[in-house]
Amino acid sequence: MDNEQALLQRAQKGDHDAFAALVDEHQRYIYNLALRVLKDENEALDFTQETFVRAWTALPNFRGQSQFRTWLYRIVTNLCYNRLPNLRRSLTDLGDDVIYEIPETDLSFDNPARGFESRELRSHLHHAIESLDENYRLLILLRYQNELAYEEIASMLNLPLGTVKTGLFRAKEQLRHALETYQEASWTIH
Amino acid sequence: MDNPLTPDQQNVVIEDALYTYPVAPMPRTVTSNVMARIKTIPTPKPFHLTWQDLVLALIFSACIGAMWFSINNLPPLVVAQIRKESILLYQQLLVNIRWLIPVLSFGLAAFLSALTIPYLRRELLK
Repeated sequence: MDNEQALLQRAQKGDHDAFAALVDEHQRYIYNLALRVLKDENEALDFTQETFVRAWTALPNFRGQSQFRTWLYRIVTNLCYNRLPNLRRSLTDLGDDVIYEIPETDLSFDNPARGFESRELRSHLHHAIESLDENYRLLILLRYQNELAYEEIASMLNLPLGTVKTGLFRAKEQLRHALETYQEASWTIH
Repeated sequence: MDNPLTPDQQNVVIEDALYTYPVAPMPRTVTSNVMARIKTIPTPKPFHLTWQDLVLALIFSACIGAMWFSINNLPPLVVAQIRKESILLYQQLLVNIRWLIPVLSFGLAAFLSALTIPYLRRELLK
């Protein structure tokens, strides 16, 4: 991270090599976010490029209030908002009816439920994540793949905290439904 | 999957799937394209206040301060004179307003038209 700080400082002074190193470091995550939201490889590549070009232009104004990657996510999300005007509306329309805290599940290896995990089940759920609406996919990516805090996601997407929690809660409910359907189907087969 | 999962176990399985959702591999790197594009953009310069800005700001604030100070310290006779003159000016304006508005409007229109002269000249000389 110190290395990243040094690279950022050099890039802010106009050092192209330092910026290239930052692009190398972060492009995969930016591409992934764009791809998961847009579901189009070429567009995702274009958006990744555009994100870094915009980042370069705005780099002198980056004061380090957030992590560099979070800042890049903000840029790529804004590009996605422009491309998918319904995305912002669908996020805002989620409301904030989930007022309680979403409990974090213990994923430690001594958890007895780990025994139930199978590669197939995981793969089925990954497919279920891919078929979620883009607003849910975006929230899931930011929360679980990039491990951003709810507050960070809310600030990044300019949404109330409750809306972020509601979105994640509903996404999980849809995954639970997919899981139950899968279980019922496999139970019938056996 | 002989037994259905309990809600807690479902939670664990879902969370596991969420945390293990893979990062998509990139078909190709975009670094070279990005660098080629940013080479055409002039190096962005951070915003800096120069000494010139500071001196200018200082002069402006000194002028405003001096004006405020003089207004507050003018002799009462001069203040009365200024008030009288301003009332007279205002009255004169009210009397002449009938011709002042058309004159100002025509003046503005003439000024804006005059601004187009260099462009029109250039077009005519092409």
